[in-house]
Amino acid sequence: MVTVEKQQYMADLTVDLAPSNPRELVLRNPVIPASGCFGYGLEYSPMIDVQRLGAFVCKGITPKVRSGNPMPRITETPSGMLNAIGLQNPGIDGFIRKYPPTWEHWRVPAIVNISAESVEDYAMMARKLDDVAGIAGIEVNISCPNIEAGGFCFGWDARMSETVTQAVRKATTLPVIVKLSPGALDIMEIASAVEGAGADAVSLINTLVGMTIDPRTRRSKIANLTGGLSGPAVKPVAVRMVYQVASVVKIPVVGMGGISGVQDALEFFMAGASAVQVGTAVFSTPSMLTRLIDELGMWLDSNGCTSLNGIVGAANPAFGTRGESTF
Amino acid sequence: MREFQGIITAKHPVMGDSWLMTFTAPTEVLHAARAGQFVNVLPRERAVYDPLLRRPFSVYGVAPDEGLMTILVRPYGRGGGWIVDRNIGSEIDVMGLLGNRFDIAPRSTHLLMVGGGVGAAPLLMLAREAVARKLSVTYLLGAANAGALLEASEIPGEVEYVVATEDGSAGYHGFVTDLVPDYLQWADQVFACGPGPMFESLRSVVLANRMGKRPSVQVSVERTMACGVGACLGCMVETKRGMKTSCVDGPVFDMDMVQW
Ligand SMILES: Cc1cc2nc3c(=O)[nH]c(=O)nc-3n(C[C@H](O)[C@H](O)[C@H](O)COP(=O)(O)OP(=O)(O)OC[C@H]3O[C@@H](n4cnc5c(N)ncnc54)[C@H](O)[C@@H]3O)c2cc1C
Ligand SMILES: Cc1cc2nc3c(=O)[nH]c(=O)nc-3n(C[C@H](O)[C@H](O)[C@H](O)COP(=O)(O)O)c2cc1C
Ligand code: FES
Repeated sequence: MVTVEKQQYMADLTVDLAPSNPRELVLRNPVIPASGCFGYGLEYSPMIDVQRLGAFVCKGITPKVRSGNPMPRITETPSGMLNAIGLQNPGIDGFIRKYPPTWEHWRVPAIVNISAESVEDYAMMARKLDDVAGIAGIEVNISCPNIEAGGFCFGWDARMSETVTQAVRKATTLPVIVKLSPGALDIMEIASAVEGAGADAVSLINTLVGMTIDPRTRRSKIANLTGGLSGPAVKPVAVRMVYQVASVVKIPVVGMGGISGVQDALEFFMAGASAVQVGTAVFSTPSMLTRLIDELGMWLDSNGCTSLNGIVGAANPAFGTRGESTF
Repeated sequence: MREFQGIITAKHPVMGDSWLMTFTAPTEVLHAARAGQFVNVLPRERAVYDPLLRRPFSVYGVAPDEGLMTILVRPYGRGGGWIVDRNIGSEIDVMGLLGNRFDIAPRSTHLLMVGGGVGAAPLLMLAREAVARKLSVTYLLGAANAGALLEASEIPGEVEYVVATEDGSAGYHGFVTDLVPDYLQWADQVFACGPGPMFESLRSVVLANRMGKRPSVQVSVERTMACGVGACLGCMVETKRGMKTSCVDGPVFDMDMVQW
């Protein structure tokens, strides 16, 4: 159902997620479907006007083809869900052949989410993506096990997060967003390290590791045993982390975790996010994405704001101070 | 494929604990609907986030002239329970049409349908399509007891309707799949939908009794779904041609292609 509608609001919703990068990442509005919840942008094209979105992030891509985890991969939890898809994807080479040639003709910027198990592999993928037409930026998923460090998650360690960011930064001039893991002990330390290593922006949160057991079978409901928790259940955790991160970095923060409507999105903006991603909520209500753009614009209009900047960090006195006023 | 708000126009109790729920739907959706396809229904109010995910239901029937679609809902749990509790006149939030369809081969004239429980739904739609094409249909339906069977009045008159119950209270006493060998010579194609254990016994009965790969068997499988459009990769079926989504590549698969 693709309809060209007249813009329903006056407020300026544009945002640049890479203000210090010459290749910039200017979005017409701050609404972005999250990685793993929007396929490759094509799946939802029959249902919503994908070109209206601020940008979209595709499913996580890895160095080689992956067939993913055994089934069952998803289960519902109270106001949320667990997933252990296992990064099923065609691998970086197959991906580059398959999707960017289509995106090249799209108005909506495409951001590629990358995952790897070694620093070299992250850099290798960034290098391959650097001059591919149809790609506007890279989102680096650091919620992955570092095989060289005994499987310890990159994103839980400031040094490892920094090393990955530096390697990706060196390998590409594309805008680089580093996606933080909520499993880190101190998310502010990781965010600062990643900013120092040259990230253009950070996004958060990825899913929280969870588990649920079926008493009837006496087994986990997910074949992989654990899965990533997402949806409304994680929202308060996500808002808190976005608030903390926005208090200590100056680069743009992209907030996500349980956003299901404009009221949720406003919380993230006021905590200090410059843009938001929507994941799980897309599954039940795809039309919410474009409605969110309109409702945000109309909310700003009726609250006397001429642009989104009017509310970013509104609830956060430490916003953009690099932690100068303490959190 | 689209989201739409239907208005519930009728509720009819069937199969003991289940309901036929009829609601308004857009004309183009009704005209496009084919047996095997499904719709995803939001099992809650829009602004309440539990239970979170839509529930898939096979299209049971459509009446394009009246603007109506019917689904068969068994209240297994909270989602199904919420849907059957909606009153006539209330809204129902639907996403569809989703999925592929049963495929009747051009040369097939004798079709065998094997259903268990609410697996009856997509097969009934298929039986109606087949009868309209003047094909011979035998419909085998299994249930725990007589009360859990679909009333014969729901089945088109041209269809040979044969039932099996686990307690012997109606028809054959035993599993519906026990009846299948008798029809394998007759049938050009078999279509099946039901719970997991039914597929297991159907598969072993077919493999033990058919000659070569004839008749072929199409099964509609059930997986937990999140998106319904191939975006989340949560609903996969392992096939001999790799991992396939059951929401876009399925829910109907050739039994011989599935890695059981
Ligand atoms: C393609 C497809 C078509 C479907 N068509 C129909 C249909 O036409 N009619 C219909 O009633 N259902 C159909 N289903 C199943 C329907 O979507 C499920 O019944 C529903 O998801 C269960 O939701 P619930 O909220 O009622 O149960 P939940 O609250 O999710 O589950 C409650 C309990 O019931 C168990 N349970 C859930 N589903 C089943 C099941 N199918 N069999 C046995 N135990 C189960 C769960 O394990 C859990 O313990 C279909 C499913 C698919 C994938
Ligand atoms: C099914 C599913 C698959 C996901 N796949 C990825 C992925 O490949 N890479 C990634 O960085 N995040 C992935 N995520 C995490 C989301 O992008 C997002 O960070 C998280 O779900 C929180 O947002 P939400 O509550 O709005 O869903 C996935 C989430 C879900 C539910
Ligand atoms: S339900 Fe998401 S891919 Fe099938």
